[in-house]
Parts: sequence; C-alpha cells; structure tokens
Amino acid sequence: MPLILHGHAPIHWALAGAVIAAVTLTLLLIANRRLGVSTGLEDICSAVLDGPYFTRSAVTSGRPWRIPFLGGLVLGGFLSAVLGGGWSPTWALGMLDRAAGLGHAGKIAWMFCGGLFVGFGTRLANGCTSGHGIFGNSNLEIPSIVASCCFMAGGIVTTQVIYRIVLG
Amino acid sequence: MAILYLALGTIFGFALSRSGAADYDYVQGMFLFERFQLYGILATGVLFTAPGLWLIKRRGRTIGGAPIHIELKSMNRGTVVGSLLFGVGWSLTGMCPGPILVNIGEGKVYAIAALAGALAGAALFGTSYERLQNLFGLPPLRKPLKVASGL
Repeated sequence: MPLILHGHAPIHWALAGAVIAAVTLTLLLIANRRLGVSTGLEDICSAVLDGPYFTRSAVTSGRPWRIPFLGGLVLGGFLSAVLGGGWSPTWALGMLDRAAGLGHAGKIAWMFCGGLFVGFGTRLANGCTSGHGIFGNSNLEIPSIVASCCFMAGGIVTTQVIYRIVLG
Repeated sequence: MAILYLALGTIFGFALSRSGAADYDYVQGMFLFERFQLYGILATGVLFTAPGLWLIKRRGRTIGGAPIHIELKSMNRGTVVGSLLFGVGWSLTGMCPGPILVNIGEGKVYAIAALAGALAGAALFGTSYERLQNLFGLPPLRKPLKVASGL
C-alpha cells in the first residue's frame, strides 16, 4: 500500500525500528534523557501558560534537547516531502476521504477533536508512543507496558467502530 | 548541542514519514489488523532499543561521563484512562504526538488542527491538574526549577 505522501512505497519496518532505536539510544548516551515527545506539548503551552504543571522540572529541564528535537520532527517531514517529489500543502486523507468525504472545515473539526484526545490523554498517561511505547517498554517498565496495552486497545476499538460500523 | 538534537529529530521525523508511522492509512490499517507495518516498527523499535539500553545502563555513564539517570514514570489510574483516551485520539487523527509534527512538515494542512487540539488538550489537563489529582491518583507536583540547567 502506498503512503499518502506522493504515493511512496514505505521503507521496511525493521529499518524504521532500527532508526528509532538508534535515535533513542543516542539521546540517552549523549543527553542523559529518555525519549519522550508528548511532554513537548506542555513545553509549547508553557509559552503562554504558567502554573505549577507547566513549570515543573520535567518540562523545564528537558527544554535544551526537546525544543530542537521537535523542530527536527517538522524538518524531517519537510525534507521527506521535498526529496520525495516536492513540498506542497495538501488536504489528502486517504481512507477517510473515501469513506466520509469531509470538506476542509469538517477535517479541521475532526482533527481538532482527535487532537484534544491526544493532548489530554498523553498528559494524563504521562507519556505516548515514544516515552511509554518505545523507551518504557524497552526498559521493561510496568506503567509503560500497561499504557501501551491501553492505547492500542483505545485505538483498535475506535478504528473498528469507525470503519466497520459507522462508515462501514 | 542544539544542532545535534535538531539532527536527531530530523532523522527520527524522516523515518516516521517514510515508514508509514505518520500515515493515516497505515495507522488505521494497524488498528483494523490489516497491515503489519506499524506493529513491525514498534516491535523492532523495542527489540533493538532494549539490549542497547541494557548495555548503556551497564556502562552507567553518558559519553560525557555523567552517571546515567533514567527518570521513571509513576503508575496510577491516569496511566490507564489517559492511555485509552490517547488511543481514541491516535485513531481519530491517525497521528501520535511525533507524527503530528512530521505531518505538519510534510504539508498536511489538517495536522495543524490536530496540533491545536493536542495543545488545547494538554492545556486543559495542565490547568485542571489539582482537580484531577485525587480522581486519578496523580503524583504531587514538585517545585519548579528556578534555574534552567544547561547541558
């Protein structure tokens, strides 16, 4: 199945896994930090919000690596588009386009609602696919194993309901 | 050092972009049990990280010689409820937090709305932390660092 981005064939999953592992281990070996992307959400929030949650040390002490790393994620996506056929803004949304045919406003509303769950959920769970899913599981941390089972379950149920029942 | 972290993020983002991890269809394919790709990425990510982590902990020092310190996460009701909610959001958007940024970089306009939602969700959680603390058994917040530590 081609990627939505320019219809590319994806790289092999084991190669992607190896790159993720290499980045995770390099970060620990150099910066003494556990990989974790979702704490970056508070980092961005803390530009306009203060209060104890946004100024706690887990947020502020990680800034020197996390802010450039988050910038790199955007840059990596940008380079991937530029080098793989050119960068241009797109609204293409694959299966959801075929199943629901939402307009721009509909997609904005859909994504904003989904984003609320991502933001609130990852903060309540204190981690996401990177901090729990990759780092925590690799370190055999019980909270991360529990979290991973729960976010996979939440995703499986939601997608199955959407694509097999509601839009099925 | 910032340039190094930027480079690490760029490599990470490029791999997410080209592997399907930041692709709406591949995320749905995973949750529909129709595509193995993302299960393979998560599994090999953990399988390759785990022995490396073990070796680094055994060595006990960073490249600069500082003792390795891994901050552990607490376990509470929020771990379960928050992860379930995050799973719903991952399914709806087709993006976990890293891929939201990757998709913005790729030029997928709707990912900006997902980021706005994620920031609003994080802001909502952060500002209601004290009210949610008892309900979910969340740990107390420690005093903020007055001086940002340089690396």
